Amino acid sequence: MKRFAALILNFLLLAVPALVWAAAEKAEPLEKKVNLANLSGINYFFADWYNNNMWLYAIMVTALMGVVGMLIAFVTDIFLKMVGMEVSKIEHHE
Amino acid sequence: MLDIFNVYLPIAEMQFNALILVAIGFSVGVLGGFFGVGGAWVVTPALNIFGFPMAYAIGTDLAHIFGKSIVATAKHRKMGNVDMKLGLLSIVGSVIGVEIGAQNVMWLTKLGIAGPVVRYLYMFLLFGLGIYMLYDYMTKDKRAAAQAAKVAEAARSGMARPAKKSWNLPPMIHFPASGITISFWTVSGVFLFTGWLSGLLGVGGGFIRMPALIYLIGCPTAIAVGTDLFSVLFSGAYGCFTYGIKGRVEIIAAVLMLFGAAIGAQIGVTAVKYIRGYGIRLLFAIMIILAGTSVALKQFNMTVTAAWVVMCAALGMCVVITFKLYQGFKKEQAEKAAYAVKEVKP
Repeated sequence: MKRFAALILNFLLLAVPALVWAAAEKAEPLEKKVNLANLSGINYFFADWYNNNMWLYAIMVTALMGVVGMLIAFVTDIFLKMVGMEVSKIEHHE
Repeated sequence: MLDIFNVYLPIAEMQFNALILVAIGFSVGVLGGFFGVGGAWVVTPALNIFGFPMAYAIGTDLAHIFGKSIVATAKHRKMGNVDMKLGLLSIVGSVIGVEIGAQNVMWLTKLGIAGPVVRYLYMFLLFGLGIYMLYDYMTKDKRAAAQAAKVAEAARSGMARPAKKSWNLPPMIHFPASGITISFWTVSGVFLFTGWLSGLLGVGGGFIRMPALIYLIGCPTAIAVGTDLFSVLFSGAYGCFTYGIKGRVEIIAAVLMLFGAAIGAQIGVTAVKYIRGYGIRLLFAIMIILAGTSVALKQFNMTVTAAWVVMCAALGMCVVITFKLYQGFKKEQAEKAAYAVKEVKP
């Protein structure tokens, strides 16, 4: 078991450079600045980050997708439970 | 009238109809939750038809896929449909395979034959897989009867039950969630192969990995769906982040699509409870044959028709899945009511 764990660890370590390499750029960065002139509120907030700090914009987008997804799932789960459509472990048969 | 649903997309710097984004997200959410796929092959042509700027299409799609996959994977996990051990192995193997595939494409490009090779391989894969899964569905009863006869014959003659052919090259890994024990090399080889196909064809790979999990690894169908979604979650997260850094994610559009997708995913995942196994395989087979038809139409430069075919196929499949969910739910409620009556009667 220890030898197998070591094998898996080595496999994963070998895969790390591949993981980074496979993050190979498939699209060119868009070199543009958003015009903030007529923006306000949340639009201005997002566009400002987009213009000034692309890394933070990317982190914000990724985090927002996760949080919003989970929030909507939570609310929909409550609704589905109310109508009796909740899920639990199922038997796996074909 | 639909103009009242127009919203301003600050990054794309244009007005776009929010209903369209929510509707696209919803249909892809249902498909994703039910089949365990990302759905980019539906979203990109759909966005193209409605005039969404293509510079942001892939990045925005990947962003919403990430959010949707979290929803769908969490729900599949509740149902016991996610084999995380298998999912993590699939990520490593697939990523290496993807890079090899991508390098092969560059080599084919240098030879000047990348376009035709990729196109025809894509069509061959979609039609071949779809037809095989249809054949599998149509012959399942015959095969089950033949297997039962073999086992009965073995029992009658006092012989050992006929062993299933398998390749037992150690180390063997046990995946308790899927209930399979399989050679590490088989698992790695399968995911390297599916990753290679994804990299070669330039696709996400969910629709390749799901049948591979069923037919090459031996996962039950529902677990293949949940485990595939687990892998899609990681590729979605990574895609969302890298495209975000390149400024190719329109955040408001992504949130609107996610709104629809998160609700759709709940429906798609819940439908797995009522449809299951061969039912999922049949619908998946029909879906990818229609996707193959769309790809074939694109080869004949009928791009708009191809996009409409894939969108109508996606919407039609959503209606079928939602209807089947409703049917299954009604049946379950009727059974519960009948059971409650039996309990009350002396």
